[in-house]
Amino acid sequence: MNESHDDLIDNPTPRCPVALVLDTSGSMSGEPIEQLNAGVQLFIDEVKRDDLARWSVDLAVYTAGGSAQCIQSFIGVEQIAGVAWLSAGGGTPLGPATRMALDDLEARKKAYRNAGVPYYQPWLVLISDGAPDHGWQDAAQRAAALSAQRKLVSLPIGVQGADMEVLSQFSNRPAVALDGLKFRELFLWLSASMARVSASASSDASVQLPSIDSWGSI
Amino acid sequence: MSITVHNAAGESVQLSDNPLAQGGEAAVHAVPRFPNVVVKLYHPQVLQKRSDTLRAKVEAMSSDPRLASFKENPALAWPRFSVFDENGQWRGYAMRKATGVRMSLLAHAMAYREHFPNLDRPAVVAYLLRLLGVLKELHAAGVMLGDYNLANFLCDPGSATVTLIDCDSWQVSAAGKTFRCPVAAPDMLPPELHGKELGKIDRTLESEYFSLAILLFKALMLGRHPYDAVGGSGPLENIRKGYFPYGLGGGGIPKGHWFNIWSHLPYKLKKQFIRTFKEGASDPSERTSVAEWIDVLKLYQRELGKGWHDAQIKPARPKANEYRGAQSISKPLAV
Repeated sequence: MNESHDDLIDNPTPRCPVALVLDTSGSMSGEPIEQLNAGVQLFIDEVKRDDLARWSVDLAVYTAGGSAQCIQSFIGVEQIAGVAWLSAGGGTPLGPATRMALDDLEARKKAYRNAGVPYYQPWLVLISDGAPDHGWQDAAQRAAALSAQRKLVSLPIGVQGADMEVLSQFSNRPAVALDGLKFRELFLWLSASMARVSASASSDASVQLPSIDSWGSI
Repeated sequence: MSITVHNAAGESVQLSDNPLAQGGEAAVHAVPRFPNVVVKLYHPQVLQKRSDTLRAKVEAMSSDPRLASFKENPALAWPRFSVFDENGQWRGYAMRKATGVRMSLLAHAMAYREHFPNLDRPAVVAYLLRLLGVLKELHAAGVMLGDYNLANFLCDPGSATVTLIDCDSWQVSAAGKTFRCPVAAPDMLPPELHGKELGKIDRTLESEYFSLAILLFKALMLGRHPYDAVGGSGPLENIRKGYFPYGLGGGGIPKGHWFNIWSHLPYKLKKQFIRTFKEGASDPSERTSVAEWIDVLKLYQRELGKGWHDAQIKPARPKANEYRGAQSISKPLAV
C-alpha cells in the first residue's frame, strides 16, 4: 500500500491542504510542547484511519520558535510517517512562519491546477500561547483577507496566555481559546473536520463541521 | 442508553445503541431483532425545522401504490414505514439493510485496491449495468435521483450487486404531489442547474442524464472527474464551458493513467461521453439516455469477453492501434 507514487499524478482525489503554524517559542516548553507533539502525531494517525481523508488531506507544518521553519512541506498525509519532534525555545516569529505557509499554499494550489486536481478551501491552523514578535501585521492581513474571500479557512487558536486580540487579526473570525491543554481534543476535532470535508461530495460544497465544544473554551 | 421506537400500530422495537452510520441529517441504527432492517432517525435539529416535509415525503413514498414495488426491490433501501418515539413524535423510517462498499471507494484511484482488491474492468461494467437497470425502473416511475453522490451507491465486492441508499433525498411524485430533491454536489450537476436553489426546481431526465454520465465516467476512470483538466479552471467552470479534455479538439488531459484508460475504452462508449460532455453541456437533448448507456456498456462487456479490450483497471500503456493512428497524422506519409 505504501509503494512510492507521484502524489498529484496517481491520485486525483480532491485535496484539502492543511498548514499548521505552531508556536514553539520558549514559553511553550514543558507540558504544552509535549501535548502539542502528541496532538500533531495523533492528527496524522487519525487522518490515516479515514478511508477518504487519508487520500485527500495534504499537510505542511511550520514552527515559530527562535526562527521560522518549515519542518514538513506539503505532501499527502498518507505519505508522512511522522514529523520531527518539536522542541520549544526562542522568540515567536509567527509572522514569518505564516508568510511561509501562505506562500507554500499558493505554490501548492498552482501544482494542483497544473495536475488538474481539484481542491477544497485550504486550512491554516495557527496555534500560539503568546504574542508574535514584531513584523506579523502583513501576514495577518493576508490570512484575514483570504479568509474573508472564502479562499482560506484561517483558524487561530490561543493557548493560555495568548494575545487573543492579535491572533484574531489572522482571520475573519475571532481566535478560539484552547481549553487548558486539550491539544488531543483539538487535533481529534481537526481530523474529524477533515473527514467531513473529504467526504463532502464536491470540492465546492459547504460542509457542516463538528462542534468545537470538546476543546474550545467559552 | 438504548433507543426504542414504535410503528404506527404501536408495536415497539429496540434499536442498536450506536448508529451504523451517521451523517449531517440523520443516523442509521440496526434493529437487533430484525437483522435485515435498519431505522433511519433524523437528528432533532433537522426534525425541528423540517419534520412535516420529511414525514410527508417518506409516507408518500411508502404508501403510493405506483411505487409500492420499490419496497420489495433488493437494490433499493426504499422507506417502508414511519417510526415514532415514545412520545408519539415522528423520528424517521424503517428500510431494508443495505450492504456493500460506497462507490466513492471503487471510483477512487487509490482506495479501490484495498476495498475491491480483485477489481477489473468486467467487474466495474457489471456494477454499472446493474445500476443502470435499477435507474431505468426508477425513471419509468418518474423517480429522479437528483443527487448523484457516489457514497449513496453501495457495491458488494463479492458480486455485481449494487444497492441504492438515501432514497428519501430523491425527487418523487407520489400521493398526488411532487417532492423535490433539495441537494446535490455542484460538480455533478448540468450547467443549467448551477447556482439554482435545488429545492425549488424540478429535476428532469436531461439533468439526470448529465449527472449519470459524470458518475459513469468516474467509475470507469478511477474517480477522475470528466471535467478535470490541466490549467486554471476547475470542474465547475469547465462544465459551464462544456470543456471536456478527452476526444478530438480536447486537450489538457491530466498526466497519469487517464489517457491510457480512456484509449482502451470502446469507441462507441467514448463517443457517448464526448457527446454528453461537449454538446450536451449546453444542449440537454444531446445527453446520452439510460437505454443508450445500457447498449454501449453491454457492447463493452461483450468485447471485454472476447478479449478485445484490456481488462485491467490501470492498463500499463495506451492501446496500440489507436496510438499508431494518432501518430500517423503528424508523420510524413513515406516511411
